[in-house]
Amino acid sequence: MDRRPPSTRILYLAIFAALWMGAVDARLSYLQLFKYSDYLARARRQQQRIVEVTPLRGNLYDRNLREMAMSISLDSCFAVPAEISNPEMVARLLAGVLGVHTEEIETRLDGSRSFVWIARKLQPEIVERIQALNLRGIYFQKEHRRFYPKGELAAHVLGYVDIDDRGLGGIEYQFEQQLRTPASRMLVLADARRRWYERHGPNQARDTSLVLTLDENIQFIAEKELAAAIARTHAKAGTVIVQDPNSGELLAVANWPTFDPNSAGSSAPEARMDRAISALYEPGSTFKVITLAAALEEHLTHADELIDCQMGAIYIGKHRIRDHKPYGMLTVSQILSNSSDVGAIKLGLRLGPEKFHHYIRAFGFGTASGVELPGETRGLVRRVEAWSAISIGAVSMGQEVGVTPVQLAGAISAIANGGLLYRPRVVREIHHGGLIVPETQEPPARVVRPETAATLRSMLEGVIREGTGKKARLNGYTAGGKTGTAQKIDPATGRYSGHEYISSFVGFAPLNSPVVTVLVALDAAVGAHGGGDIAAPVFQQVTQQTLAYLRVAPDMPLQSPTEQAPSAHPQQSVKEEDLSDFDPAQVADATAAAVPGPENLSSREADGAGSAGKSAHATVVVEDGQGIVVPQFGGMTVRNFIEECMRLGFNPVPVGTGIAVDQLPAPGLQARPGSRVVVRFTPRAATQTLAQKEK
Amino acid sequence: MMEFFTVKRIDNSRLVRQVAPQQWREFGGPALVVTLLAAILLVYAAQYYQCLSVRYQVEELKAARSEALELNQQLKLEAASLRAPLRIDMIARNRLGLTAPVPGQVTPVAAPAGAMMAQASRSQASQ
Repeated sequence: MDRRPPSTRILYLAIFAALWMGAVDARLSYLQLFKYSDYLARARRQQQRIVEVTPLRGNLYDRNLREMAMSISLDSCFAVPAEISNPEMVARLLAGVLGVHTEEIETRLDGSRSFVWIARKLQPEIVERIQALNLRGIYFQKEHRRFYPKGELAAHVLGYVDIDDRGLGGIEYQFEQQLRTPASRMLVLADARRRWYERHGPNQARDTSLVLTLDENIQFIAEKELAAAIARTHAKAGTVIVQDPNSGELLAVANWPTFDPNSAGSSAPEARMDRAISALYEPGSTFKVITLAAALEEHLTHADELIDCQMGAIYIGKHRIRDHKPYGMLTVSQILSNSSDVGAIKLGLRLGPEKFHHYIRAFGFGTASGVELPGETRGLVRRVEAWSAISIGAVSMGQEVGVTPVQLAGAISAIANGGLLYRPRVVREIHHGGLIVPETQEPPARVVRPETAATLRSMLEGVIREGTGKKARLNGYTAGGKTGTAQKIDPATGRYSGHEYISSFVGFAPLNSPVVTVLVALDAAVGAHGGGDIAAPVFQQVTQQTLAYLRVAPDMPLQSPTEQAPSAHPQQSVKEEDLSDFDPAQVADATAAAVPGPENLSSREADGAGSAGKSAHATVVVEDGQGIVVPQFGGMTVRNFIEECMRLGFNPVPVGTGIAVDQLPAPGLQARPGSRVVVRFTPRAATQTLAQKEK
Repeated sequence: MMEFFTVKRIDNSRLVRQVAPQQWREFGGPALVVTLLAAILLVYAAQYYQCLSVRYQVEELKAARSEALELNQQLKLEAASLRAPLRIDMIARNRLGLTAPVPGQVTPVAAPAGAMMAQASRSQASQ
């Protein structure tokens, strides 16, 4: 039995404890002072993981919030070559699943890099097959992949992205900053079983989505009809634009050739070109609308003024420009409906280069329209100082200027809405998280007075009713528009091509409260190439379907298909041609001997400008005699007008009261029995005032 | 041979244990401190592990939410693909034999006033 005193035992115990504690302290000090960094790194490797937060791309919607582009996350497979002991075997196994050559993967694995992609954005079933292989050093990471669920629909507006989700075209490119949240990293704490229990890092940013002005159904109508027109005409390319003239919003932008943005890399570069904003072409006769708008706005003419179209030839300087048909005296309305080059040139001459140039720029030509799409062309409008002697004539009929389809659609929309030029838009709203930010719209610029626009609308209706655009006639709706057929410039010769044309039609409907402006342009159609022949029917199809889709109430009686057919109208005997044979590049070859001098031109012009009388009957072309000649109703009262119409068998449509001052169809034209004859009446006092003003 | 046993009764009831207040004080103080520390430690540990458990739950819920959002996005994509106008047009024309309506065949009719009310009351009646 231990007889030592308790103090001694306690002393031994204390010494033992001190030694034990000292050993523990020494070990702890060693670990803390000398091994700290090693164990810290080891702990971090075990507990912490850096996770790449892939950039999230916002959705694109049409105006009715239907998805046009969206992203979903898919697994991408990567390897850490340093962890792979048998690269050949791993490459062989992966190649079997991925369907690629073994050497390709082996080359990637053969290196000292710590990270190498094997395959990106894989389908789930392939991911499962790779995971089933249970290969060391093979990992997966989530990435987002862009999908366009409607395929080719609105491909040029939407654009496309590359493998890293960066926008490369269209809205995807233009709104890259807004659509794509920045890439970030997240620190994740995980336990021994790899279960996450904490994360540090930036929160996933709220996605930003864009609501476009496009309507996917109108876009489909436009693309369907454009594709059908391309198939009919074998044109090289084409564009259809549908615009809301009252806001500038683009409802559809269709281009041909097109591409599937889901596989944009496999498409040809020319297929990815957005011709609506980047294709520069000479508008041809559609530009006569601008010529007439400027002349009317400057009070240099009015719709009923008779102008001598000199039987289809005019001399600018020493150069003769021939019309497509030998017209004599035509009213300004008839100049537009028959697309007379000589008439348009005469109006352009009245304007003069400076004023004409001013209006061209005011209508938005020569400057980028400001539509939110990349790659827009400004167009080509030369400075007045650079105009040659014949430029005023060429520009008056749509040559020597380069426009884009979206510019021309915007200009016609300005006519349709009463004279206001809106910036064309494709983005309606930006949705940032739960916040809706509407896109701001600058106030429109007034380019012509409402009265001028109304006059032009009426004249453009004549183009469809009795002019070159009869094939654009709608069933149940009034419409206005203009055909255009422009020769393309042959790059090889620098001159106008004799066999390649831009056939176009631009118009709006309904006439008095336009809901849509539609532009159709077909490039290098084979065979028939007149804008009235091949572009006007596309306008008719697109507009008819669009108005029905938008539930726009018809503003005129519906016709049976036989009544609707243009061939049923005897007035359509006017040849539907609006192409000038004038080639500014060929003026140098013109012989000066055979042409009269400029003084002759001025005298003729003076004659035409001054002859505002009512002796138009002799110059109106009436090629067949199957209808009833519409008499001159001017000066009649409403009662007399109705009685005269009843006697002749017409359907009278009086507008207003007083004395007849305007009529449709124009006097001298033929109309079938039962046709509507619209005559505008004004009170006697107003008529007298107008007459005094004219004096 | 007979054996005898004697019983010796011991009565310790008169013994009184001597109380040592000094020892009680020496023992009680540390015991109280240790108990308090142990209690604090236990409460801290319980809170820590409960917090850890909640963290796991939060991460699981975040993962579930992420998966649900992803599934939602995939379903939206599928629905958008199925609603593609071209697909619907082809089904209508090729499978169902439909044709586009001619002008005038479709007459938009504005809903009369109170149509929504009538619809609501009818659905309530059916329930």
